[in-house]
Amino acid sequence: MDKPTVQIKGLTKKIGSRLIIDNLSFEVPRGEIFGFLGPNGAGKTTTIRMMVGLMKPTDGDVWIEGKSIRREFEQAIRHVGAIVENPEMYKYLSGYKNLVHYARMVPGVSPERIAEVTRLVGLEARIHDKVKSYSLGMRQRLGVAQALLHKPTLLILDEPTNGLDPAGIRELRDYLRALARNEGISIVVSSHLLAEMELMCDRVGIIQNGRLIDVRLIRDFVSAGETERYLFQVGAPDQAAALLREQGVAVNSTEEGLEVGVGAEQIADLNEQLVRAGIRVYGIWPVKKSLEDKFLEMTGGEPLA
Amino acid sequence: MLNLIRNENMKIYNRLRTWVLIALLVLASILLAALSQTVANHSNQDWQSVTRQQVEMARPGLNDTDNLVKKSSERIVKIGEYRLEHNLPPEDHQLWGAVRDASGLLVLVTIFTVIVAADIVAAEFSTGTIKLLLIRPVNRTKVLLSKYLATLLFGLLLVAVLFLSSLLANGVLLGFGGAGSPYLLLGADGHVHERSMLLHILSVYGLNSVSLLMVVTLAFMISTVFHSGSLAIALSLIVLLLSNVLLFALHNYDWMRYYLFANTDLTPYLEGSPPLFQGMTLGFSIAVLCAYFVLFNGLSWLLFTRQDIRS
Repeated sequence: MDKPTVQIKGLTKKIGSRLIIDNLSFEVPRGEIFGFLGPNGAGKTTTIRMMVGLMKPTDGDVWIEGKSIRREFEQAIRHVGAIVENPEMYKYLSGYKNLVHYARMVPGVSPERIAEVTRLVGLEARIHDKVKSYSLGMRQRLGVAQALLHKPTLLILDEPTNGLDPAGIRELRDYLRALARNEGISIVVSSHLLAEMELMCDRVGIIQNGRLIDVRLIRDFVSAGETERYLFQVGAPDQAAALLREQGVAVNSTEEGLEVGVGAEQIADLNEQLVRAGIRVYGIWPVKKSLEDKFLEMTGGEPLA
Repeated sequence: MLNLIRNENMKIYNRLRTWVLIALLVLASILLAALSQTVANHSNQDWQSVTRQQVEMARPGLNDTDNLVKKSSERIVKIGEYRLEHNLPPEDHQLWGAVRDASGLLVLVTIFTVIVAADIVAAEFSTGTIKLLLIRPVNRTKVLLSKYLATLLFGLLLVAVLFLSSLLANGVLLGFGGAGSPYLLLGADGHVHERSMLLHILSVYGLNSVSLLMVVTLAFMISTVFHSGSLAIALSLIVLLLSNVLLFALHNYDWMRYYLFANTDLTPYLEGSPPLFQGMTLGFSIAVLCAYFVLFNGLSWLLFTRQDIRS
């Protein structure tokens, strides 16, 4: 619990004269699921590739379990299990042989461990079939199996839900949560899908144009900066709107109903007045801003996905 | 390192393509054996009279002013007489001769090994598996070396397959009767020596494999640098197939002595026949070959260990 699993300091990548990643710094403590959120092309994949040593940083460094990925690659990477983009496997080999292949590259992975991770991802029945016969979901699970083979303390998954059906996404999510909670594995996931991050992560970092523009806990994120707004659903919207405006309340007429920017106490009063005026009130809801709205706010309306 | 090579072997030999190539090579050596058998049957004169004719034709050359003519005549005469005296028929239309001639199929071995070499790095990039391969606690130099060694092992396997299948095919067709006959060599002392035929044939295969090694190394380099298997196959085969044409067309230029394929055939040096260019020696050719070898592998290594993986 002392040292963070991952430390990134001043990570910068230039390709030619183009600045792809600009001075990125963050840490991921043990057992945390960190979400890396940003529109496509913001630099998520490049950052992840630098974290696993597939790309060389122009400046800055990544420390995994205190080992520099640039200077102590082998010691650093042995703590990492990763899927970078799609889990591309050798299609002409069986799932089992794929796992044997990766097991041979790390000292100390026993045949028992291969069987164990196979069971863990639920591929026992098909593990000896060729990967070409696998569905996308099965390939994803095999991808998770190869990433866990050597008992990493850091799992890095780049767009892990790409191409998975809703059931598969849910399965993966539950599984990752269990890993972080039960085994203390830190997980870094990247995604451009907000709703998914909201459900999966403890903390999110938002990246845009190669810069980390914000890092915060997901629950702070959801409740932060919430101005209180309520939605009235009424029988006669126009009449009600006029009445509310008379009270000096800002009213925003939307398709769902009337949105008013007042606190909870005032809502009760407003309701009473509406009812007195003979307007039927069907419902009153607090309006919550979704992560998506906030994201759009922060990134200046940059289109997503 | 051993584990890495086992991995590469697993990836080579679990593919149908590899076994098709091996089967094709076996088939080719059987076909060649059958073909040369039918040709040999047409010229079925007894060997003693043929040898006697050759000796008589070469005899006037013994006094030739040209040293080279003199030398080759001397070899034909002395070895021919030795054969007649000791009743040792020439190997040409026997088992060993046929196995020796099958070394011509090493071109096929080269092409097949190039196919594997061209793919072994490029395919990891084109399928994206390179990303999962390079995030292991193994440095890139070792990964590259294991791929190169696995490729060479495959080439070696094909050479062995060619040797054994042509030995068996010709043995079945011609009989294993001549298997014990020695290889005759005219020593520097002017006497004929009997040498092991097996060693001689193996050395023929070995010498012919020099060009195999160089072409495969070239293909491996192109595969690594350009990440394109088809480009690697196309370029290295063009280079291989045009090598003799180029040599012939440009043989007036002295700098052609530094051309790779002017140096791959080391047999002239060992047999004492004249080299392609005046003044070329065994040492020179080996130095040129080493330079190309270092150049090709150096380029592969530089790019593979330094490049960013973006595929």
